[in-house]
Amino acid sequence: MAMTMTIERVMAFMGLDVLVARDEGLFEAEGLDLRIAALPPDEIRSAAEGTPSKPATNQGKLQARGAAQMFQA
Amino acid sequence: MIVCAALVVPPTSTVFAPQELAHKRVALDYGNGTAYAGLQMLEAAMPRDAVTSCAGATSPAERFAGLMRGDFDATVLQEPWITVAEKAGCRLVSTTFFHGTWVATRDVSVEAYAALLRAITRAVRHINADKRGYVSYFIRDWSGHPEVEALKPQDFNLGRIQLKEPGPIPEDEARWAWDWMASWGLIAGAFDVTTQINRTVEREAHELAAVVRAG
Repeated sequence: MAMTMTIERVMAFMGLDVLVARDEGLFEAEGLDLRIAALPPDEIRSAAEGTPSKPATNQGKLQARGAAQMFQA
Repeated sequence: MIVCAALVVPPTSTVFAPQELAHKRVALDYGNGTAYAGLQMLEAAMPRDAVTSCAGATSPAERFAGLMRGDFDATVLQEPWITVAEKAGCRLVSTTFFHGTWVATRDVSVEAYAALLRAITRAVRHINADKRGYVSYFIRDWSGHPEVEALKPQDFNLGRIQLKEPGPIPEDEARWAWDWMASWGLIAGAFDVTTQINRTVEREAHELAAVVRAG
């Protein structure tokens, strides 16, 4: 039975390796069902709304509510 | 994955070196690694009280547009927008690299993490063997943005695309990053490696994944 893991969305600039591993079936070959979850568009806040000490980041939001196990910071 | 970030000024800027950004408005996407990389590039070139940042959008497309409109003097960009900016005549006055770091919940198993590490290690090897062949991923991320869609694989500077096989987090680097963020008031409290890094899961997963590295 495959292991499952959900991670937050990555883009090529910081997650090219993850995207290539997914597309080339490398997670599947390792018995890992890797799922990539994205925040609903209406929940995405722009960093322009934040301040240095109180940033409006989207990273970790899915993990915080149990919808993802990992995210890349 | 190693992330490249660049401080970029518009074609008409009088700024050619990072110290010339002292007291000039630099748009940073606060809360993201690129913003912290931007801060580090600025503070390496000037006293902290001369660093003048303003809130930039999360989207590098929006920050690039703001730069070209003259909303601020400089911004920090990542690929493929560094390449877009260069094609538009912008100048890079500083570039840097930083590690992307995984943040995991306590329920990630050793076996699942090891599988992730093995798959990523293989992907890194595939990409490093043919970087040019994989730059289309940077373009694919920005479908619908004509500036990116106009890029060709040969436009990319492959020196800015760096991938490293995953490894354990060095404690001294984690401590330095924590202390640096604390010094800017971005994080509070003292660094405690035992609460930040689960060394047992990390070590066992890397040992399980080591067979790939040996192969």
